[in-house]
Amino acid sequence: MNDINFRASEGEFIFLTGPSGAGKTTLLRLIFGSEKPSSGHIVINGVNLSRISRRKLDLLRRKMGFIFQDFKLLPRKTVFENVALALEIKGETRRFIRKKTHQSLRMVGLADKEKAYPLSLSGGEQQRVAIARAIVNDPLILLADEPTGNLDPDLTKEIIMLFRRVHAKGTTILVATHSQELLRTPAERTIVLNHGKIVTEK
Amino acid sequence: MKFGQLPYLLRQGLLNIINNRVVHLIGIVTMVVSMLIFGTFLILFVNLNTWLHGIGSSLSMSVYLQDEISEQNKNNIKDFLSELPNVEIKRFISKETALKELKRSLRTHSDLLGGLSSNPLPASFELVFKKIKDQKIQPQKIKEEILKMEGVEDVQYSDEWLKRLEVIMNTVELIGFIIAGLLCMGILLIVTNTIKLTIYSRKEEIEIMKLVGATDWFIKIPFLIEGTLQGILSGILALAILFSGYILISSKNMGILAFALLDFTFLPQEYLFLIFFISTALGFIGSFIATGRFISIERFFSV
Repeated sequence: MNDINFRASEGEFIFLTGPSGAGKTTLLRLIFGSEKPSSGHIVINGVNLSRISRRKLDLLRRKMGFIFQDFKLLPRKTVFENVALALEIKGETRRFIRKKTHQSLRMVGLADKEKAYPLSLSGGEQQRVAIARAIVNDPLILLADEPTGNLDPDLTKEIIMLFRRVHAKGTTILVATHSQELLRTPAERTIVLNHGKIVTEK
Repeated sequence: MKFGQLPYLLRQGLLNIINNRVVHLIGIVTMVVSMLIFGTFLILFVNLNTWLHGIGSSLSMSVYLQDEISEQNKNNIKDFLSELPNVEIKRFISKETALKELKRSLRTHSDLLGGLSSNPLPASFELVFKKIKDQKIQPQKIKEEILKMEGVEDVQYSDEWLKRLEVIMNTVELIGFIIAGLLCMGILLIVTNTIKLTIYSRKEEIEIMKLVGATDWFIKIPFLIEGTLQGILSGILALAILFSGYILISSKNMGILAFALLDFTFLPQEYLFLIFFISTALGFIGSFIATGRFISIERFFSV
C-alpha cells in the first residue's frame, strides 16, 4: 500500500471497499497494530503506532474492537466466557465482568444464549457474539473485516443494524466490505481502495 | 497484571493441564522416572557413604615404641595420644603380650618361636579412630605428628585401603553428578516440549487473547503455573514412590543387610527437599523457556 492518507473523526461511520487484494484488510491490520508501516505514521487517539511498545499496543487494543469474517470465537468456551474474556484480561472484578457481559449480550440480542457454545449457534448468532465481545469494553473504534462475508442478506441487515446501534453510542466504526448489500445502506463516508491506493472518497 | 487476576490465571493453568492431560501424563511419568533414577542413586550414595565411613572409623593405627624407651617418654606419648581429638587408645601391648599373641595366632607352629633368644617384637599402643561429626579423619597427618615424638619407632595404619576408598567415593560422586546433570537436561527438555505442545494446542485462544489486548505476561503466567505444577506433582510422586520402594526393599532384604551389620537408611530430609526443589525448579524453568519463545510465536500468530 502506498500514499494512503485519511483522517477519521470521533464517531464517524466509514465503509472501506474495493476489489479483493485492494488492501482493505491490510489497512485494518495497520490500524490495529498487527502490522507496522514501512514508512509513514498511524496515529490513534493521539498515540503513534509506529513508535509504540508491545505492552502499550496491548493496552491500546483494549480500546479497539475487531470483528472478523470467521468470527474467531473459542469453541470450548461458552458465549458468556467468550465475551467475558475481553474483560478478564483487564483484571476487572467478577461482578463488573458479569454486569458488562450481560449488558453487551443484551445489546446484540443474545441474552438467553449465554450458556450455549458457539458451534451450536447459527452464523449470524456467532457474529453477534463476536460483536458483543468487541463492544464489551466500550471501544473508541470498532474495526470489522468483511463482517457479513459468511452471512446471507437477511442476517447482513441484522448485523448492519447492530453497527448502527453501536455507532449511536459514539463509537467510531470502520467496516471493510465488498458486500453490495452493506454498501447500499447509507454511510457517512465510503473509501474505495484499489491496488493499495485510495481511489475515491465520498 | 493485578493481584486479583491470580485466581483466573491459576484456573487457566489447571484447565491447561486437564485439557492436555495425555501430554501431561506422559510428561509427568517421564519426569517421575527421571527423578526416581536420581533419588535411587542418592539413596545408594548416602548409604554407601555411611557404610564406608563406618569402615573408615573402625580403622586402627598402631604406634610402635622403641625397645629402649624411657618410662618418661612412654608416658609422654600416652598423654599425647589421649589428647588427640579423633583418637582413642584401645590398649597398650607390651613386648610380652605381643609375643604371647603371636604365639597364640601361630597355634601349633608356636614352637617356631622357641629358638628366639630375645623378644623381637616391639611394644605398641593400639589406637582406634572415632568419628566426629562433620570432621574428616586424616590418618596421614596424625601419623606424622606421632612420629615426631621421642621413643616412637614406627606408626602403621591401613593407608592404602582408605585412600582407595576415597577414590571410589569421589568417582561415585562424579558419576552421580554427571547422571544428575544429564537427567536434569532431559527433564528440562520434557517440560519445555510439554508446555510448547499446550501452547500450540491453545494457539487459537492466545491469538484471540492478543486481539482483545491481553499482555504477554497475562498469557504466559498460566503456562508457567502449568509447568511448575507439573514439576511439583512429579516431585511429590517421585518421593512417594521412592519411599514405598525403600519400605518394600528394606523389609525384604533386612536379613542380608543385618547380617552385614549395615543399616539401610532412607534419604535425610535435606535430600528430600533437594529432590522436590529440583523437580519444581525444572518445571518452572522449562515452562519459562517454552513461553520465552513467545516472541517468535507472536510473529507466527501475526496479531
